[in-house]
Amino acid sequence: MKQHFSRRQFLNLIGAVGGSSALLKASLAMGLMQSNDFQGPVSVAPVKGKNKAKVAVLGAGISGLSTAYELERAGYDVVIIEASFRAGGRNMTVRHGDKIDEMGHTRYCQFDQDENLYFNCGPARIPGHHKRLLHYCRALNVPLQIKANSNQLAYIQDEKINGGKPIRQVDYRADANGFLSEMMSKSIDKGAFEQQLSEEDTENFLSYLKAFGSLNEKGKYTGSDRAGSQRDRMLFPPTPKAPMPLHDVFKSDVWRGVSFASQIYDWVEPLMEVKGGMDGIVKGFLRNISSPVELNAQVRKIHNLSDGVEIAYEQAGKLNTIKVDYCFNNIPAYFMAGIENNLSPDYLNALNKFKRGHLFKIGFQMRERFWEKEGIYGGITYTSQDNAQLWYPSHDIHAAKGVMLGAYCWDEKQCARFEAMTPEQRFKYAAQCGENIHPGYSGYIENAVSIPWARMNNQMGCGIHMEKEDWEHCLPILQKPDGRHFMIGDQISQHSGWQEGALAASQQALSQFNQLQASITSSHGAAYVS
Amino acid sequence: MLVKNTFFALVVSSFSVSASVDKTDWTPTPQQFKYCTVCHGNQLMGNPNIGAPRLSGLSAWYIEKQLQAFKQGKRGMPDQSVPAHEMQSMVKELSDEQIHQAAIWASKTQSPVPSETIVADAKAGESLYKQCAACHGADGKGNQTIGAPALAGLHDWYLLNQFDAFKSGSRGNVQGDSQAQQMQAAANLVNSEQDLKAIVAYIQQLEKHEEHN
Repeated sequence: MKQHFSRRQFLNLIGAVGGSSALLKASLAMGLMQSNDFQGPVSVAPVKGKNKAKVAVLGAGISGLSTAYELERAGYDVVIIEASFRAGGRNMTVRHGDKIDEMGHTRYCQFDQDENLYFNCGPARIPGHHKRLLHYCRALNVPLQIKANSNQLAYIQDEKINGGKPIRQVDYRADANGFLSEMMSKSIDKGAFEQQLSEEDTENFLSYLKAFGSLNEKGKYTGSDRAGSQRDRMLFPPTPKAPMPLHDVFKSDVWRGVSFASQIYDWVEPLMEVKGGMDGIVKGFLRNISSPVELNAQVRKIHNLSDGVEIAYEQAGKLNTIKVDYCFNNIPAYFMAGIENNLSPDYLNALNKFKRGHLFKIGFQMRERFWEKEGIYGGITYTSQDNAQLWYPSHDIHAAKGVMLGAYCWDEKQCARFEAMTPEQRFKYAAQCGENIHPGYSGYIENAVSIPWARMNNQMGCGIHMEKEDWEHCLPILQKPDGRHFMIGDQISQHSGWQEGALAASQQALSQFNQLQASITSSHGAAYVS
Repeated sequence: MLVKNTFFALVVSSFSVSASVDKTDWTPTPQQFKYCTVCHGNQLMGNPNIGAPRLSGLSAWYIEKQLQAFKQGKRGMPDQSVPAHEMQSMVKELSDEQIHQAAIWASKTQSPVPSETIVADAKAGESLYKQCAACHGADGKGNQTIGAPALAGLHDWYLLNQFDAFKSGSRGNVQGDSQAQQMQAAANLVNSEQDLKAIVAYIQQLEKHEEHN
């Protein structure tokens, strides 16, 4: 069974995995969240007195690292406890020799030893309005470059259209605009807008439609040189291709799904990426944090005490128990039921409503950048097959080799099919899918990595979500501390699966922390005003 | 590697690291089995959010038999439940010796008895349970001689899931495993969802009673 793209799938990915504007409004009204005009990170109330307060941050993902960074700068004594062998969470870039810690299928990345050959397994693009993330990129000296997210010369491949052969996006665009314009022109001729439009208005509108859809003098769409020419257009007059059948243009779910991709706010262009791999952000934080990061340390127990939090973690078969003044918890919420704790029943109930999300990616090292010979430099091809997307790298154009994304699935059923396979079966399947888009595709593949986020050790999901009704009730509970325990992570934001969501949750928790600190200090007679 | 040695050398100096408060109850996780606790939780206490049952409280012989069943493809095939298949891929690469060791370790873990998630008539369950008791014991502790595992101490949601799996044939439909087939036949004797829930609610209470002793 094949899954087709739907607009819903797209919207789901845009971090909207659960979430509602009503809740956002509520949070704004409660003063818990900054409005859109981010002015800089929360200024954490500095440590007062001789005894540094101690803080444990559970999880060294983006939210945990940024929380530790801000607390450390304010003078707190911080320890980060991380279950994995590496820091970064889902901000993960793999290169030659890196371990891919999938449950039951541990593999090592076999890419050539070359700094240009890497794959962003998690986040891979940054829009210009993700101000928190961009703030940290600036502050931590993380170099960015422009990344092409959409490419009109890349393909739409829909098994229902054109005998399953790929069609360039520019062809779809020209034909869809053309047909729409022609229909609009005809409706105006029938006088649909006579009441509102003067004769001059009508003329101007028709002229705009002609330009929008590339219509001829008679207001007909007969194909357009905007989609190129059938002959060399440098030497011969343009000879536009005949339009696709109108039926096909609007029948394609894939095309409908991506027509407006670059108009979705998180994908408005230009987008950016970190030079050399997204984990440059993780490295940036680690360069600027001196707090210890305890790796391979699984948290076993979180107990709120009247004056702090007791945390036990297991590392190399040894159970360590520490007492801290505060705890910031970045652990995926669905794991909390397997950690001994005394969190309040409402809080625990809210945590248990979270469901694992499924996202799946494949990265192929290609012996040649064959896509560049097809005029494709960066951007994405979308397909109705299970591999769903192909991403062509924007960096290192015309290099000898390249790593491209060979599958990126958001649909749970597509993900489930890949998850049930061994890595080697997945590569074979995704290669077969690729053949239907780029004949000879399999022959270019030298080696591969697969990242089923729902099967990655210590993650078991990406795009965590809840039922909408639960979300509206539960998020406000989790955006407040329970005792001296704060939840953080993209899970506690409206933008699950985005680093900006992780940072927003961290910032939100730190402003709550300031309030809690202020109330504790004032109850001791020495008020701190933030 | 993202994180280099910088941090390894730093012991949590300013944090007083003490031996555990509950050290007596606590069984260390062998390094080779640290994946197990990701889903099954601290001391294999289970995690309903992942569909991972509580394993502490089960006998080593039964755990080993089930791990072998996963490895040999008798449980957790892709067309069965997602958590079961996830479990299968964890076990596939374990050696027989590792499976043996894992079972011994799991049987030594201790964790709190799960609280009930199903509301049902445990009283009605008591009389219905009599037919189960023949194999699983009146106390729900199981009987190794006839291959019947302990039921007391398992999560109620997990008991329900497995019961459904036996009933639908996705579990127990294994040639040559007469015990699994026997359970499949027994599952088909329970006719209503209500009866099943009552039985499960009763089993839940068994372990609680034990705790009070």
